[in-house]
Amino acid sequence: MLTNNFAVVSKAIDDIAILQPKGYMNDLGAERLEHECEQFLDKGLKKLIINFSDIQHINSMGASVLIGIVQRISESKGQLYFTNIKKVHFDVFEMLGIIKYVKIFKEEREALKFLIKDAEKLGLEKTDL
Amino acid sequence: MQKNWDLKRLIFNISSLVHLGQEVTSSKGFNEKIKGALYVVTGIFSIPRAALLIYNSRLHSLDLLTSKGLKGIDGTILRIEHRHIKVLKKNEIYSIKELQNNPFYKQNETAFKTLQTRTFIPLFVKEEFLGALSLGRRLSRTSYLQSEADTLRAIANQISTTLHNSNLFKRLARKATENKKLYENMRHIYHNTVQAFAAAIDAKDVYTKNHSNRVAKISVAIARELSWKDKDVEGIYIAGLLHDIGKIVLDRVVIRSKNLTNAEMDEIRKHPKISYDIISKIKFPWKDISDFVRHHHERIDGKGYPDSLRDKELSDGAKIIALADAFDAMTTERPYQKKRTLNEALIEIKECLGTQFDGNISKAFFKTIQKEIKGELKDPQVLPYLDKDFDPSIIIMLLEGIIAELSA
Ligand SMILES: [Fe+2]
Ligand SMILES: [Fe+2]
Repeated sequence: MLTNNFAVVSKAIDDIAILQPKGYMNDLGAERLEHECEQFLDKGLKKLIINFSDIQHINSMGASVLIGIVQRISESKGQLYFTNIKKVHFDVFEMLGIIKYVKIFKEEREALKFLIKDAEKLGLEKTDL
Repeated sequence: MQKNWDLKRLIFNISSLVHLGQEVTSSKGFNEKIKGALYVVTGIFSIPRAALLIYNSRLHSLDLLTSKGLKGIDGTILRIEHRHIKVLKKNEIYSIKELQNNPFYKQNETAFKTLQTRTFIPLFVKEEFLGALSLGRRLSRTSYLQSEADTLRAIANQISTTLHNSNLFKRLARKATENKKLYENMRHIYHNTVQAFAAAIDAKDVYTKNHSNRVAKISVAIARELSWKDKDVEGIYIAGLLHDIGKIVLDRVVIRSKNLTNAEMDEIRKHPKISYDIISKIKFPWKDISDFVRHHHERIDGKGYPDSLRDKELSDGAKIIALADAFDAMTTERPYQKKRTLNEALIEIKECLGTQFDGNISKAFFKTIQKEIKGELKDPQVLPYLDKDFDPSIIIMLLEGIIAELSA
């Protein structure tokens, strides 16, 4: 029985996957994020961006899911990027030693800009990055 | 900064454990509970790979129940004989190195490699062997600190009890009374978890060994005497266990020293507020716990701390814990004061009525002690922890006098 207070919206741009989990990462429902990551990795997308802007709460079960993702990415020789992290979640990631394994950007588009030098493709040239 | 970190860690761990307590006592299915428990362990300690094994006594094996981060391990089993089980210590945290000379390890070397076991915890309830927790390497690649080992043991206990109860559940017909027993059992684990933390607080200070536990029990006795509802009694029990949790971040030396400087005194006086900060961040199934904890050093005359609240501004719960706390301090040896006899302690409480202690709450306390001494209570909470060197008839006479005076 998975609760309804967690969902993941994702999209792919070239070899980059962008995942935006929403809600509470505080029970087994958070596994959905890990499954989505696995699917992208299996398809050969090795650069994963997770945008945390809509995440309310992360407890140890949610942390476990993220640790699982860190593990999967390193096994696949991929790279993980976290963006839009709230201070309290950053503290949790730091405490659990997760941040050593991810690159952190303030905003999703900054991560994208870093990954895609050709910003035009994203229609980003008009925005003031 | 370091202190701050410990605090965050502490809040995260307790929250996780309280959450786990709620999970395993919920109506969720067994598999989900067990998986949830494994996620809590792996989350708290940053362990990418782990497995939970269940003991099959018929086949003398440990079978895979659930796992995380491990691929292609289906069908992995460990062989385990009675003689192996006998030498395993109950809920002990074994590093794989410690096991390597054990025949049990040698017999299962391949399976241990498949599971990438770094830490192995045999799970028991009483003498019954139920299974084992296999934990892989931590993300940080570090071993477990003392405090982490305590938390890990508390979780192992919860998992053991969950396994045990599921066995029980299978054996029992689902009659209402038996379901109730099961629920009681579950609640018991919940209490055990919080108790594990209370023990960690008290461990900071040899003088207050078991202090939190006694304060919890004395508080329960008073609340019952005041006819509190069962649910609220349970709340004050938890508040009693955790009232000094803020001390966890204080320096051990400061807590134990006899002659405190003003600065050290100020430091110690921060602990109720720190306890409050911790407790208020945890979602407990009882309200007001954080209030009780914050105000356990307040006094009726407003000369207490941290908020200098007076009589009417204080909740009954805070007054109860304050009295229980002071009584336990009086009747145990402390570095800064000598231990009082029961007689002396009761007189001291009486003399501080209206200044330090509340009259009504104290009256309930006196009454419950009277009942305990007379053997009128089935489940005495205060007496079992007191020295038995008092004369019951003298105490009863003293209490009768005080109670009559208070009732006048
Ligand atoms: Fe205290
Ligand atoms: Fe205390």
